[in-house]
Amino acid sequence: MKLRIFIIVLICAFTFFASLLLGPSVINPFTMDETAREILFEIRAPRILVACLMGMALGASGAVLQGILRNPLADPYILGISSGASLLAAAGIIGGITLFGSFTIPVLAFTGALLTGGIVGAMGWKRGGLWPERLLLAGVGLSFLFSAMLMLIMSIASDEGLRRAMLWIFGDLSMSEWSRIPYGLAFVAAGIVISGSRAKALNALILGDEFAHSLGFSPHRERVLLFISVGLMTSASVSLGGMIGFIGLLIPHIMRFFLGSDSKILIPASALGGGTLLCIADLISRSLLPPMELPAGIVTAIIGAPYFLYLLRRKNVLSI
Amino acid sequence: MSSASNPGILTLSDISFSYAGGKPFINNLSLSVGVGEFIGLLGANGSGKSTMLKLGSGLLKPSSGKVMLWGKPLREYQNRDRAKLISYLPQTLDITVPFTVRELVGMGLYPYDIPPAITTDDALDMVGLSDKADSRLSDLSGGERRRTFIAMTLLQGAGLLLLDEPLANLDIKYQIELMRLIRKLRDERNISVVMALHDINIALQFEKVLLIKNGEILGIGRPADILTEGLITEAFDVNVKIIRHSEGKAYISYENNFS
Repeated sequence: MKLRIFIIVLICAFTFFASLLLGPSVINPFTMDETAREILFEIRAPRILVACLMGMALGASGAVLQGILRNPLADPYILGISSGASLLAAAGIIGGITLFGSFTIPVLAFTGALLTGGIVGAMGWKRGGLWPERLLLAGVGLSFLFSAMLMLIMSIASDEGLRRAMLWIFGDLSMSEWSRIPYGLAFVAAGIVISGSRAKALNALILGDEFAHSLGFSPHRERVLLFISVGLMTSASVSLGGMIGFIGLLIPHIMRFFLGSDSKILIPASALGGGTLLCIADLISRSLLPPMELPAGIVTAIIGAPYFLYLLRRKNVLSI
Repeated sequence: MSSASNPGILTLSDISFSYAGGKPFINNLSLSVGVGEFIGLLGANGSGKSTMLKLGSGLLKPSSGKVMLWGKPLREYQNRDRAKLISYLPQTLDITVPFTVRELVGMGLYPYDIPPAITTDDALDMVGLSDKADSRLSDLSGGERRRTFIAMTLLQGAGLLLLDEPLANLDIKYQIELMRLIRKLRDERNISVVMALHDINIALQFEKVLLIKNGEILGIGRPADILTEGLITEAFDVNVKIIRHSEGKAYISYENNFS
């Protein structure tokens, strides 16, 4: 097990540094000129850090959500958080809102995500507790509603506004800059720390509320804490660079396949795995057809879907 | 009932309970579980066995009456402190979760900051699953799976086990194996066990039996006194016949209901 964890950390570190140096132009760290230095520190480094943070948030959120919802198909977007974020962000892009300067779209997305998370949480609450089935249904219902509203806004948007909104929705890392990293890091770190500290409770919740109670946890309290951690991470991720599909669904299953289901290992491993996959997807998206960039969300789905289908054929893999 | 020399670990006094505003499901029920007692909880489907165990574990709160644990109201315990004293094993044991046996058994230590003297390996050894420690739960037989959960409750170190039909859906061989194991653990560790079950013949193996119908106690005491033809017929609404072997052991036959 320790060897496997070490290999995953090694792959993650290797991917991070490879992403920094590779791309449309390959940078040799030992013979950098001014242009290369600028590309490395002003363009690639913030972009790769944003990719890492987003991937980490999505991977860890997926692992937590699959556990609290006891559903192997859950991903961070199932709760409608991303739809709420997309709706406000698209409205901001299409409406040309510049209230907070370059932070306008991230702030709108984060607000949309948090509001949606709050509504889903309120609708999932009944008889003094947060119920997984209610959360799931509320999330799916709101997701449909916000998606329909998003389509409505997009159908009446100008061509340029539509293109920019579409790029953002499919995951756009090209706007990454250093100024976004501190708040992204704060929320993602907070989410990972909260969920990591409740990993034992998550294991117990996976067995069921009755087990969780018998093992000394308050199932509803633990679900609220874990839900908050997912809300923070997903909101931060969507506001940093839009919707990146598949990571939250795929990465926890891959990590479970190699490392087992213990949330104490699975949550940090899924964070690392998510960060790694998004770095790889971003590297491909900016290297494949330069100077054009493909949306990273599409690349993660194209890489991830076949592997996911392969896993589907393996025994015991697609469970929580 | 526990005697004065065997004070109650868990005492339910005049407990009533109803689900979501419905009619009372448990009605003025009282029970005291003493140290080392081995109690079988018997009744038809829907009679209130599981609800009673959930009330005793604190999973459900009674609408009236008191649940006391070591003389203190159960609701006043912190969750983790309560978990060190009572372990409740639900009837539905989810088997799709790919935890390994060692991971699952290890969860018994969750209520503790400083682990107690017993280790995961000890618990696995006690239930005879040392060689399956790294197997996934989903790869085990039904009997092994139940033993895994029993090992988890052992590691939890609680003095009182509330087991909701641990023998359900097991072959006779595994039922006997599990009953032996639970009794052996009770003898060795002096823990108290309250166990819901369906099989009347297995109930004969308990030291004390509680017969329940519609949330009310029909009788509590030694199996020989409680598992009578009259009370069983009343509890299960079937005709039974008690047949005694030459050496005095009894078993309960209900085959005359089939004709």
